[in-house]
Amino acid sequence: MKDLVTELKEKTIAVLNLDEMKPEDIGNDDPLFGDGLGLDSIDALELIVMLEKEYGIKIKDTSAGKDIFKSMNTMASFVEANRVK
Amino acid sequence: MEQHRNVYIKSATQISLQEPLSERWLESPVWPKDRYVRSQNPDFRSWLSPLESRRMGNLMRRALATSLSALAAATIEMPGAIVTGTGLGAIENTEIFLDQLCREGEECRRPTHFMQSTHNTVGSLVAIHTKCHAYNTTYSHKSVSFDSALLDAFLQLRRGITSTALVMGNDELTPSYFNILTKAGYVGLPGQVPAAEASVAMVLAAEDPQEALCRIDDVGLAYGALRIDALPSEFDAVMVGYNGALANDTAYDRLLAALPTKRPVLHYKHLFGECYSASALGLYASAHVLAQGVAPAMLRRDDGDGALEVRRLLFLNHSGAKNFSWVLMSRPENKEL
Amino acid sequence: MEEPIVITGAGIVSAIGLGKAATLTSLLGGRTGVGPVKYLRTAHTEFPVGEVKLSDDEMKSMLGIDREPTTRAALMGMLALREALDEADLLYNTECGRRALLSGITVGGMDKSEQHYLDYIENDTANEYILTHDCGATTEMMADRFSGFGMVTSISTACSSAANAIIMGAELIKSGRTDIAVAGGTECITKFHLNGFNSLMILSREQCRPFDRRRAGLNLGEGAAFLVLETASSARRRGVRALAALCGYGNACDAFHQTASSEDGEGSFLAMRKALASAGLEPADIGYVNAHGTGTPNNDLSESRALRRVFGAAMPPVSSTKGLTGHTTSASGAVEATICLLALRHGFLPANYGWREPMEEGVRPVVTVTPAQLRHVMCNSFGFGGNDSCLILSENV
Repeated sequence: MKDLVTELKEKTIAVLNLDEMKPEDIGNDDPLFGDGLGLDSIDALELIVMLEKEYGIKIKDTSAGKDIFKSMNTMASFVEANRVK
Repeated sequence: MEQHRNVYIKSATQISLQEPLSERWLESPVWPKDRYVRSQNPDFRSWLSPLESRRMGNLMRRALATSLSALAAATIEMPGAIVTGTGLGAIENTEIFLDQLCREGEECRRPTHFMQSTHNTVGSLVAIHTKCHAYNTTYSHKSVSFDSALLDAFLQLRRGITSTALVMGNDELTPSYFNILTKAGYVGLPGQVPAAEASVAMVLAAEDPQEALCRIDDVGLAYGALRIDALPSEFDAVMVGYNGALANDTAYDRLLAALPTKRPVLHYKHLFGECYSASALGLYASAHVLAQGVAPAMLRRDDGDGALEVRRLLFLNHSGAKNFSWVLMSRPENKEL
Repeated sequence: MEEPIVITGAGIVSAIGLGKAATLTSLLGGRTGVGPVKYLRTAHTEFPVGEVKLSDDEMKSMLGIDREPTTRAALMGMLALREALDEADLLYNTECGRRALLSGITVGGMDKSEQHYLDYIENDTANEYILTHDCGATTEMMADRFSGFGMVTSISTACSSAANAIIMGAELIKSGRTDIAVAGGTECITKFHLNGFNSLMILSREQCRPFDRRRAGLNLGEGAAFLVLETASSARRRGVRALAALCGYGNACDAFHQTASSEDGEGSFLAMRKALASAGLEPADIGYVNAHGTGTPNNDLSESRALRRVFGAAMPPVSSTKGLTGHTTSASGAVEATICLLALRHGFLPANYGWREPMEEGVRPVVTVTPAQLRHVMCNSFGFGGNDSCLILSENV
């Protein structure tokens, strides 16, 4: 689980061009949106594309993103449970 | 009908192949040699945090840096209108999206590239950044995109609909789109000035000559043909966009030949290059020439040599010898030499 | 007091028909033009679209165009322009005052670029299309088809482009820069923006349902529409009939997000307020609102809130006609202004096709075509980037 979290942090940093951040700058339970990392709805869409490309997970309803992308830990649990690759 | 409030350029800034956000080119210009020269980027961290700029391409970063600099120079926090011109918009993002679409098919495209491919991205970005809810529009019409934006802002200021306006011209050029436009014969011709990029922002204000660079006396667009003999004739130099390509230059030769009285001719594309927003750099250069009252010798295209005193200037631009624009501008009253 | 700006001609083509007569029939009959994709070659057949039911070749033959490179947007634009100019007696009569063409457009010649892009890079066989990519190229193709335009430019504010073109047209007349402004917009569906809207996850897999509780996104449409604008005295002098007046307009920026609307619809609220102020009207004077109403969860909620802020409890009849036409993007401001013109002149409220259940905090739209004597109608167009515009059309007095 720990490795998947780090992997997701790296992929999130890459896909969202968070150039000056390192995986250790993002706490596993830090909120990603709003007051936390400050991501927005477009970042959520980028993350949806990333999950499809990297893990074969198709998300059709954007509102599901709210729960999945709460934090790195919630994203990792979701990927763990739904990944097809 | 038309009221006559005077319209001034309070500030004008650029990011181009010359030193960015600076007028140093007036004394020590970069002399571009290649067929394709990209703009010099300033350090964008003065305007944008890494989190804010994470999705922005060059076009957006440059537009934000020039417009925030122009607003600061004019000591205006929020303009009364934001009017933008761009020929190709965010072509870098457009190309990434288009290239993937054509090569990889219709799956899983990245929203950021699409979102920033619309031409109004820049005007919207500046509005979001300045929290400006005012009139906001974007023109995209080949080489008269900026000129159309200028006309819109000028008319609103003239008629008293707003008292300040931020007017921008932005175009970027990727290496691959340079190659495409070269195939189409728009840039890259032998003897032609380099293909380049332009980001210009200027703040216009009505009835406010304090510290202004110059006054804009009139702006016009003409399709098909420009009756230059019907324009006001009181000016002491003409600024044109010669670029070394025959069709482009011939159109200026014809316009100049039709002037009722011969005037000294100035040019700017040999210093700034060619792109769809080149006229924005030409107008920027004209404003600073008028502010100092003297055109340096390197801007002269006529037989004369040495610096030229300029109080009133006619700026001419055209797109494909088909769509013409002109701007009459002068030194403000309080800036007598 | 400024002289009123009147509309002396209008032309339209969209999924619900070519020309005003066909459009009126579809509006009155509640017949949607949204359906399975037919003309665009795309893998995304799961999304219903509102295509103009004509191929490029069919349009070319209707216009007598042979082989020269022409974009689909230009072809649709020429059909709409021809109708508008003809009605205003400008088609063959090129000597009656200065005229300007203002066209709203965003994807421009992308239909050709996406066919030939790899060829541009790798071969050299379709280069004549390279310079038809940009917005201005399509506008100039249209301008050159009809002689007499002395000023030509293009406005590109995404889905409010045509509304902003109409505003610029009126401003050019008021400032004495032109006698006649022909303003509107054109946009064809491309794979580029179909995939783009899909990447934003705002396309519906079913018929769209603006203002419905279960709305699930928009259906892309395409089309073109143009209005002929001039002063009332110019129309009198030329002996042409004023169909309606363009009595007010407003443009404001939401300044919130590049693609999403703010929760309280500040930009659209300000645009409507500005339009009312410029028309010298009170909210109660408005007899019908043609909403932007795209069918996305975000737009319809934000717009409903903005409408409530403008109109309070006295909400006039509201409908979105995008369930019929699809979202004609850059052309929508002019397509829907023309629909408003038809509603004014023929005395009816267009229906909000696709609506079934009320949404929380949403306006309750007109669901069946209803006869109504209209004096002033409002037309909303909102674009990405929060470029929000509003037009007010009034019966001619």
